[in-house]
Amino acid sequence: MRKQLFSAYSLKYPQIIIYMLQRGEYEIKPFMKWYFKVENFNKIAVRGELVQTLKSKLLLGLLNCLILANVLYAVYLLSRAFVTSNPVYGLLGILGLVLSPLICAMLILLPLIIARVLIVNPRQRALIKKSKVIFKKSKAIRIAVAGSYGKTTMKELLATVLSEAGEVAVTPGNKNVAASHAIFAAKLTGEEKFIIVEFGEGKPGDVVSFTKTVSPNIGVITGIAPAHLDKYPSIDAIAKDIFYLAKFVKHQNAYVNGESEYVDKYLDKDDQIYNRDGIGGWKVSKIINGYQGISFELSHGQEKISVKSRLLGRHQIGPLSAVAVISRNLGLSVGQIEQGLSKTKAFEHRMELKIVGEAYVIDDSYNGNLEGIRAGLSLLSELSARRKIYVTPGLVDQGRETKSIHYRIGQMLLSANPEKVVLIKNSVTDYILAGLEGFKGELVIESDPLKFYLNLDKILAKGDLLMMQNDWPDNYK
Amino acid sequence: MTKPNVAVIFGSRSAEHDVSIVTAIVSIIEPLELTNKYNVIPIYITKDGAWYSSPQFKNIELYSSGKLEPFLKKTKPLSVSFDRGMTLIQPGFKTKNTKIDLVFPATHGTYGEDGTLMGLLEMANVAYVGCDPVASAICMDKVLARDVVSKANVKMNRYEWFYASDFVRDQPAVMAQLAKMNYPLFVKPVHLGSSIAISRVNNQKELINAIEVAAFYDSKVIVEEAVNNLVEVTVPLIGNDDIVAANTEEPNQGKEFFDFETKYMRQGKSKANASSKGAHGYSHIPARLSEEMRNESISIAKRVYKTIGCSGIARVDLLIDSKSKDIYFNEINPLPGSLFVHNWKTVGISNVELVEKLINYATERYQQKQKINTTFSTNFLKQF
Repeated sequence: MRKQLFSAYSLKYPQIIIYMLQRGEYEIKPFMKWYFKVENFNKIAVRGELVQTLKSKLLLGLLNCLILANVLYAVYLLSRAFVTSNPVYGLLGILGLVLSPLICAMLILLPLIIARVLIVNPRQRALIKKSKVIFKKSKAIRIAVAGSYGKTTMKELLATVLSEAGEVAVTPGNKNVAASHAIFAAKLTGEEKFIIVEFGEGKPGDVVSFTKTVSPNIGVITGIAPAHLDKYPSIDAIAKDIFYLAKFVKHQNAYVNGESEYVDKYLDKDDQIYNRDGIGGWKVSKIINGYQGISFELSHGQEKISVKSRLLGRHQIGPLSAVAVISRNLGLSVGQIEQGLSKTKAFEHRMELKIVGEAYVIDDSYNGNLEGIRAGLSLLSELSARRKIYVTPGLVDQGRETKSIHYRIGQMLLSANPEKVVLIKNSVTDYILAGLEGFKGELVIESDPLKFYLNLDKILAKGDLLMMQNDWPDNYK
Repeated sequence: MTKPNVAVIFGSRSAEHDVSIVTAIVSIIEPLELTNKYNVIPIYITKDGAWYSSPQFKNIELYSSGKLEPFLKKTKPLSVSFDRGMTLIQPGFKTKNTKIDLVFPATHGTYGEDGTLMGLLEMANVAYVGCDPVASAICMDKVLARDVVSKANVKMNRYEWFYASDFVRDQPAVMAQLAKMNYPLFVKPVHLGSSIAISRVNNQKELINAIEVAAFYDSKVIVEEAVNNLVEVTVPLIGNDDIVAANTEEPNQGKEFFDFETKYMRQGKSKANASSKGAHGYSHIPARLSEEMRNESISIAKRVYKTIGCSGIARVDLLIDSKSKDIYFNEINPLPGSLFVHNWKTVGISNVELVEKLINYATERYQQKQKINTTFSTNFLKQF
């Protein structure tokens, strides 16, 4: 407790403040939320460090100056109290010293707020306006990918297969908001045959706004799940926002993941629904699933597409089928589609298979939603292993649903019944434990995730399968 | 619920002091801490026999960075009470006593692995991992181990032994004793492991030099005839009454002899191809033998383990004539370096699982021993 209290006065404090601002892309609200929740500043930045940029260096310098000025002023007040025998100076001086970390952390936000209002926001608005024109004028087929989960995988799958037929431009990494769309649009050459844009939903109205800017021809909705419930009032609100995309592209051009439990009531009769049975008239058969990936046959009348992918798990059958059919509808030959699909593999930290010694590790640490957890546990049950170990800290941003969602995760774990469950300790651990009541396997509560991840070679042996889902950044506890 | 205090004792007055540090920290302390079930307390014994304990002794960098000596100078040595259990007495402003629930010895060679430490722990009646004092002493004396194993109908290559002092006092007599042996020969200190001071010799001159080296490290020297068409096989074992074997392992030494440097410093690679990664890149698992020979090796290894009376953990080294299919007992090690974790992983036992199993075996044996009556009421003293 004493250590926690004094951590704000440690020499590392300024570095930690700027590090957390940088991690949150200098957004004020998430920083404030973190700041007033954090218990011990010394436990921050153990898994990463401040990246030295001009901005971070300037802010760190300014913060150090602020702290120094604040302390000097407080000392001056204390000396005044001594000279004038006025206790008010003394009180103010002590308050200045005690509150110095808080005062300076708030003051450092001022230049950021000013820069955002006067420079960043107007510049972004101009860029977005310009990008709307660029997207409208583009002759390329524009495909938008939206959903609570699985967007990046779908986007990369589409890009891999469509690139067999021509130039493809695709939004990089998880850059899926208006500002990053605008930067992406500015880099388009006009030579692209296909443009694929990922839509992230951060707050109500985001997908509507992105759709109007990008004007997609085709929309893919990868699923609806409880996510960002701190911003959206309900799952219903998320679904309404995302399904605007289906309406915009006309339903026959909207491809929707039918395996998502929340999509049913928003589906239109003309939507193209994909799942592990196929899509439209295309039927799935001859499924082979293992550590090497998944393969199956997709057939429609006499036409057959042999799908072979290094992606893991039966839950990938639906997305792979959707990509095959979208590509076919866009004029790719069966050969081009098969060739493209054979190049598909797991993306970094998304159901990515790694080998540690002679054990398997499935790294799904970028997964952050209930559907992903369900898919991961389903994969864990499907694969054979000497010992199955499941590791998770739980999910963030679940708002009012936090308790019930984590209880469900506990119950899903109980059904999957791995030999060992490792829960990375945080504020949701008890909710998962409540759902896990009656679990017969080995249960470990790990308070040092870094130690755990760095020692996988000691934890695993030949034939083990460890699945890690989600990884909480430093600003969550 | 409070976690049991597990003391890991390592270092000590032994030529294998440094190997012991690696075994303790990498293969025992770190995996024990990963279980989150134990309060792991390191006890470091210096090369001159002083006992220390501090969380800093869990950090391998302390030993590799030259910081050890300055750290020892500012740290007070530990006192240990063996009065009905083992209690660490940490001197300081306020003396701190810590009762130990279980000891995990990680010492190699003399003053530890040879049974001396286990004797101390037996006197204190504290649970500990690994072989008891008698089995440890037998294992650590290559001559005594051969004498005991010979009773179990296990073959052995020809050997002779003598005291180092006999060699100094009457070298011609010792050489006469060895005269009928066929070269090449292996010369070994009787009580040391980790291939320290072991030499392969092809003539009398080399033999004398090798004996001088071995005699420098030990009071007893053993000389063995080499086995023809040699395949070396080692079998790691764990367990008390039910013995579990890992895979047979064949050191990948080719024609070159495996000395300490090759084994621990260069991963078994030749000097030109040296790597800095440490030990255990140097073997075939399982050994390149027929399944029948592998099973036979495991069976013999288990027989050796049982005959000597090992418990917890040990590793049996065998020599095989690949043409005649004869399997010879070579030696037994009651605390294999790094616990041979790399091999246990290949049979599906991780490092964390291995240390937990060893703790369970130690607890099981301790509980069995508590049931043995050690008192006997008589009127004997009344007659005085």
